[in-house]
Parts: sequence; structure tokens; C-alpha cells
Amino acid sequence: MQKPFHEVRERLLGAGIAPRHVRRYVAELTDHLADLTAEEQRAGHSQEDAKCAALLRLGKPNDLIRAMLEQRQFQAWCVRAPWAIFGLAPILLLSAAQFIAVRILLSGIPKFMRNSTATPFAHHEWFFVWFCIGLIIYFGAPVLIGWAIGLIAIRQRLKIIWPVIGLALVAFLAGTMGFRAEALGMSIVSPRVYGYVYGLLHAVVIFSLAALPYVYWRLQKVLSVD
Amino acid sequence: MTPREANPNFMNGVPELLILQLLQREEMYGYAIVQALHDRTGAVIAVGEGVVYPVLHGLERDGALKSRRKIVNGRSRIYYSVTPAGSHRLTDLAETWNSLATAIKNILIEGQHAEAIS
Repeated sequence: MQKPFHEVRERLLGAGIAPRHVRRYVAELTDHLADLTAEEQRAGHSQEDAKCAALLRLGKPNDLIRAMLEQRQFQAWCVRAPWAIFGLAPILLLSAAQFIAVRILLSGIPKFMRNSTATPFAHHEWFFVWFCIGLIIYFGAPVLIGWAIGLIAIRQRLKIIWPVIGLALVAFLAGTMGFRAEALGMSIVSPRVYGYVYGLLHAVVIFSLAALPYVYWRLQKVLSVD
Repeated sequence: MTPREANPNFMNGVPELLILQLLQREEMYGYAIVQALHDRTGAVIAVGEGVVYPVLHGLERDGALKSRRKIVNGRSRIYYSVTPAGSHRLTDLAETWNSLATAIKNILIEGQHAEAIS
């Protein structure tokens, strides 16, 4: 059996109201319903009749939804400025993650290479661990950013277009761009564009991994409607 | 005081005015606010009870109200109270409404005089 305000919650989320405002509204409506039901029961109605009367007094779903939609300041940022959430923010986050990863990778060379005196850990196992951390950040960040995009889209019940744009952007940038560290001076880093085939394949793999949660949710939605 | 629009929506600001006035005296939660509105207006103003919450949230967002969760008689509810900014807003809204009410009353009195003469 559906919760009493399921329709109100879903329609408000679909209309762009931020999840935290919807959550609070539904919580207070639920509390209010309990108070009204108690009042109707004190007036002599059965529990079932009391709940029906209470729901009527609370207001029809359309009225409850319209009242919230009139408060435009409760719209989510991903609805007010989707270009920022699904375009600009992923690019900035990806750039930051790649910068951190490259810095970690480069800093490992003087620290952990053989004959280094920078630390007592100049041994190839520590070198391997240090580099793995950098690589995990480098290859994991696009997937995590993609999952964050999917989560935002799921929470807000967004249509498919903006999440796909965000995921495609992240996959394309992460898949086709790379860095090459020159051994000379141990600190020269230059960006490069991979060959088309490798870059696109890499982008497709990233897109597939990053889109998994969102695709799963959409499939669940389609199957539940059916 | 906000500038007047050419064609104001007369019911604009009425829910806010009434809620701020009620909360000026004591903090209340949503159900209690609706009951107070119903009782103190003699049921003249009776709204779908759930629609009070977007108004409350909007006023809180604007800084006119603050809220806190309180447990009373074993029930946890969100209580609202007026802030200093809310008191200013109440004064402005009350002033606007009083001006409007006076203007409408003057027109009605003129209309009654005109009928009496004819």
C-alpha cells in the first residue's frame, strides 16, 4: 500500500522542488495528518473514517502541490541551472581530481625510486602502492563523478537529457585526455589526446561504468510502470 | 514599505499576515496554527490545512520565522516563532492591509450614499 503522500512527493520532485524541501513538507504533512486523525477519532469516528476525513481536511494532492510550487525559491539548483550542475561542475571536479592524481604520481618519483634518499621507504613495493593511489584517483574519479550525476538525477526525478549530457562530457574528457610525464627533470607533464579508437573506447567504458546506477534506476522505473 | 503594484492581488500576503500575527504571541506548530486561524476568524478563513506549510517554509526562508523541533506530550513537532525581521514584515503587511481595507470601505460607503440619494 502506498504511503499517503507518495504522489505529492513524486510530483514535487518531478516539478523541480529540491529533495530536502519535499522531505520536510511530507514529514510535516504526515505529522499534521496524525493530529487530524486523532481529532476525528476523539469526535467518535472509526480509525479508517478518521483517516479519510483527515486526508480530506488536509487538502487534495493538487492543492498541496500547487501551494509548494508557488514558492519558487524551493527549486533545486539542478533545475534552476542544469548547465552548472551537469556541465560546469563535472568539468571542474574532473580537472581537480586529475590534477591531484598527477601531483601524487609525480611526487612519488623522487620519493620512492631506487637510490632515493628522500624517505626511508625507497623500495619498489612502496613505489607501487604510492602510484596505485594516484592511478585509482585518476581512473576512479570519472566514474565517481558519473555516479554523483546519476544520484542527483535520481533524487530529483530528472528527465534523461541533462544527466546524459553530464555523463557523456565526463566520459569524453576522461577518456580522450591523458598525461605523459617526461623522465627529464621528473616534473614535466604535458597533456595529450589519445588516438581516436583508444580514446573513444576508453570513453565508452567510462560512460558505461558511470551510468550504471542511473540506468539501473530508469530500468526499475520502466518495469514498475509496466 | 514595498511599492504598490498597479493591479495588486488583494489576497497576496494575507496568509503571511495572519500567520505572523498569530506567531507574534507564541510559538506554534502547523496544526495549532491552522486551528487558531479557524477559531479566531470564526471559520471565515478556512484553508486546506496542508497548504499552510509552504507559507511557513517560505517565511522561514525569508528570515521572518525560525523553527525548532520540540517534543510535547510524547509528540515531536516543528514549532515556529517570529524573528525580528518577521516583526518588521508584520508591521509592513498590517499597514498595507489597513490602507487597503480603509480604501475599500470608503468606496463602499460612497456607493451606499449614492444609492440612498437616488
